[in-house]
Amino acid sequence: MSTTDDQQARSCVSCGINIAGTNAAAFKCPECGKQIYRCAKCRKQSNLYECNECGFTGP
Amino acid sequence: MTDDNATQEGLDAAEEEIDEEPAEGAGPAADPEEDVEPVDEQSAEADAEAEPAAEEDTGPTLDDDVMSDEEADLLIPVEDYLGAGVHIGTQQKTNDMERFIHRVRTDGLYVLDVSKTDGRIRTAADFLSNYDPEQILVTSSRQYGRFPAEKFAEAVGARARTGRFIPGTLTNPKYDGYIEPDVVVVTDPIGDAQAVKEAITVGIPVIAMCDSNNQVSNVDLVVPTNNKGRKALSVVYWLLANEVLDRRGAEPSYSLEDFESGV
Repeated sequence: MSTTDDQQARSCVSCGINIAGTNAAAFKCPECGKQIYRCAKCRKQSNLYECNECGFTGP
Repeated sequence: MTDDNATQEGLDAAEEEIDEEPAEGAGPAADPEEDVEPVDEQSAEADAEAEPAAEEDTGPTLDDDVMSDEEADLLIPVEDYLGAGVHIGTQQKTNDMERFIHRVRTDGLYVLDVSKTDGRIRTAADFLSNYDPEQILVTSSRQYGRFPAEKFAEAVGARARTGRFIPGTLTNPKYDGYIEPDVVVVTDPIGDAQAVKEAITVGIPVIAMCDSNNQVSNVDLVVPTNNKGRKALSVVYWLLANEVLDRRGAEPSYSLEDFESGV
């Protein structure tokens, strides 16, 4: 995987920003198991996230 | 805040038995006899007003308007959920929890949607089954959540930190009790704020039991439930443990009584 693809894969599922730092969370979608990244700001602001694969809406 | 007809409608019989946990650290206003944990003085007054309605009610009928999807296939009968008071929220609500609230009662209490609670318990079980049992951390600073949380940890093989969450448990390698879990389950994001804070620092997902007055900031998966009642917490942790064991192919060998503390 190229660097660009890797960065795209590690982008916040809510806002699309590239994930950096330790306060972001990475976990598998509770419904389908697809990897989900949430940035620190979206977590703090409790922004809704939606799985691209199954449409699960969290938190 | 209380309507004139509140005394007529009253609280249902099952809800009279719900013993809400007194507020920890809420000051001298905390009264164990009150129906709902007072968040502030205003709510304490409102609870005091609502209490006579519960005493006057003698009808055994259950309040059946507790979910949007009447045909939902639940883990346990809806009567069991109502008997434990899982659906009882608080007199405050947050925007975060609005989508889990079904309606508001005449006495001002918000009613959580039981079908969503049920669905989220299954979702949380799916989520937890992705992790090694010993990498799951369960925390509860609430008195009523301690026993069910410890029992849940015992059932699924997770680790539990009940009572005061020692700062540094997740962040200070020099601390003797330092652990590195992969996921944290908290009973109340307010009471277990230290655990949530440290989970953010180390970047692990947080599952939280949230009532209608909770904010879901820094929470990655919400399980909407009454997180102040003893029976409600017992039922939710019991169901969650059974579902996690079921996902692993193990035979659930715990009954609800095993999760009910005598506190």
